[in-house]
Amino acid sequence: MKNVSGYAAVVLVLGAVPLLATSVGGEKYDAGRRLYANKCQFCHGIRGDGKGPAAEALLGHPVDFTDAAFWKGDVTKKIYETITHGKQMMPAFDLKSDDITAITRYISHTFKKAPQHDK
Amino acid sequence: MIGRQRRQVFLLLTVLASLELAVSTTVQAVPSFARQTNLPCNACHTVFPELTPFGRMFKLGGYVMSKSAKAYEFPPPLAGMLQASHTSAKGLTSGVAPFDSANRATDRLALPQQVSIFFGGRIYDKVGAFVQGTYDGASNHSFLDMTDIRYADNTLLWNKTMIYGLTLNNSPTVQDVWNSTPAWGFPFASSTVATTPTAATKLDGALAQQVGGIGAYVFWNNLVYLEGTVYRTTRSGISKLLAAGTPTEEVVDGAAPYWRLALEHRWKNHFFMFGTYGMQADIFPSGEWSGLTDRFTDVAFDAQYQFMGTIEPEHPQIHMQMGGEHKAKTGHHIITAHATWIHEKQDWKASVLLGGAANRSNSLRSLRMNLNYYYRSHVGDIGGSIGYFSTTGTTDQLLYAAAPLDGSRTGSPDSSGYVLEADYRPWEKTKMSLQYVIYNRFNGGHADYDGYGRSAADNRTLYALVVVMW
Repeated sequence: MKNVSGYAAVVLVLGAVPLLATSVGGEKYDAGRRLYANKCQFCHGIRGDGKGPAAEALLGHPVDFTDAAFWKGDVTKKIYETITHGKQMMPAFDLKSDDITAITRYISHTFKKAPQHDK
Repeated sequence: MIGRQRRQVFLLLTVLASLELAVSTTVQAVPSFARQTNLPCNACHTVFPELTPFGRMFKLGGYVMSKSAKAYEFPPPLAGMLQASHTSAKGLTSGVAPFDSANRATDRLALPQQVSIFFGGRIYDKVGAFVQGTYDGASNHSFLDMTDIRYADNTLLWNKTMIYGLTLNNSPTVQDVWNSTPAWGFPFASSTVATTPTAATKLDGALAQQVGGIGAYVFWNNLVYLEGTVYRTTRSGISKLLAAGTPTEEVVDGAAPYWRLALEHRWKNHFFMFGTYGMQADIFPSGEWSGLTDRFTDVAFDAQYQFMGTIEPEHPQIHMQMGGEHKAKTGHHIITAHATWIHEKQDWKASVLLGGAANRSNSLRSLRMNLNYYYRSHVGDIGGSIGYFSTTGTTDQLLYAAAPLDGSRTGSPDSSGYVLEADYRPWEKTKMSLQYVIYNRFNGGHADYDGYGRSAADNRTLYALVVVMW
């Protein structure tokens, strides 16, 4: 019985971890994740590397969010303008500013790699 | 009376769809998929209805790709299509007024040949549909035409992308994304009043709107497509809804399995596909829905090659501005080649007893090949196609009996010939085609093929078509 209670406590603690992570990540992160999955993932891929299922069918390459070159300059403005006006094969989307901010936060937190420092 | 009511309902729906589109605030007054995605028609079509590689992905993705953040589309994704045509062939009549139901089945002028309303796009979240309701001018009736309702999503499997989904549809191969299979194969439109060969395999349109099926599919690593679908008759049950307006003449007994395997590969801007598909169906003899059945086993192979133009992926010279509209361009030169070969094994165990077939066992083989070329110019898309078709099979004096026009004097199902077609698409939503069909052999013969003095050459058909979509 004591063992059962112990296992139950472990399960409860482990089960709470995703909930805590969600609250730490914030609602905007979750909203961004959902929007990315629905609007971006088909071309940009689950890993954000520009290799979604539809990427192979395009004549131009979808942007690779894991590439450090993408994160140079005013990325927030770049993402906002691309989503609202479209670019190359990518059409314009009817998304609100909050939605675009949420997507930007999600791809920034998920796909942007930490800068490499020389030792 | 019922026909008139149906027509009035159909016209009302057409008016409502037009109003819905007229008040739409979207920039591009193009059919619903384009409005939903904010992409031009040529992102998904070479020249409609032929699909580009991206069009295939959009369809496999469940028709749900959308510019909107909402989980549904508002206004609903409706679109319309009007086809008007003129057919020149021996024996046709002329002089019937538009929408006059008398004598339409042999009238040269088909105005309209067809009017369709589409629900094309997202229903909710990951569920989307292509549903076509059609008024057919020649037969003067309205019916639920091509229907494909999907759920789709994507994930990673063995570290590679994978699209997976479910399809609910009413015609074997309507769910397919390569234009080498019959439902969306070349010729993409043809005359509804011209005489055509009698024999066709079950997969080649005979079961359209006669069955309803649900299937599952995966497309892994942009390489392997695998699908399994089970069809049932639309004569009864829930699948009856999928054949609204169409009488069930081919009554399938039990479940009819359909399978599909295709391999696709891209090399630069060249897309290759090689595949196989097939179906087995037990079908009651004509007019029966109990007792013994005939069995049809279709096994097919198909291939497609598509060249999507000269734009190199590394240097995408894709213009955002073309004609004042946001457009994504493919290359100027587009070439597509299709081929499919279907072998049908027929076991007439029921029809032989009823006197409908002379042989217990027959076979039927059909081959279709075509080459399409389109050039995207400043004055619209210009293109042409050449196609070859051939049907051969076992001679059967009862199945293919002598009869005026569409019979066979020899009892042979053999037919072959060529299709030549020129296409012009001056605007995104308008297409004009001129098609010439030449028969070398028709229902088993050249001269006097029907036993009543008609020759294969008499069935040569010149067909002019205008398609307008909105």
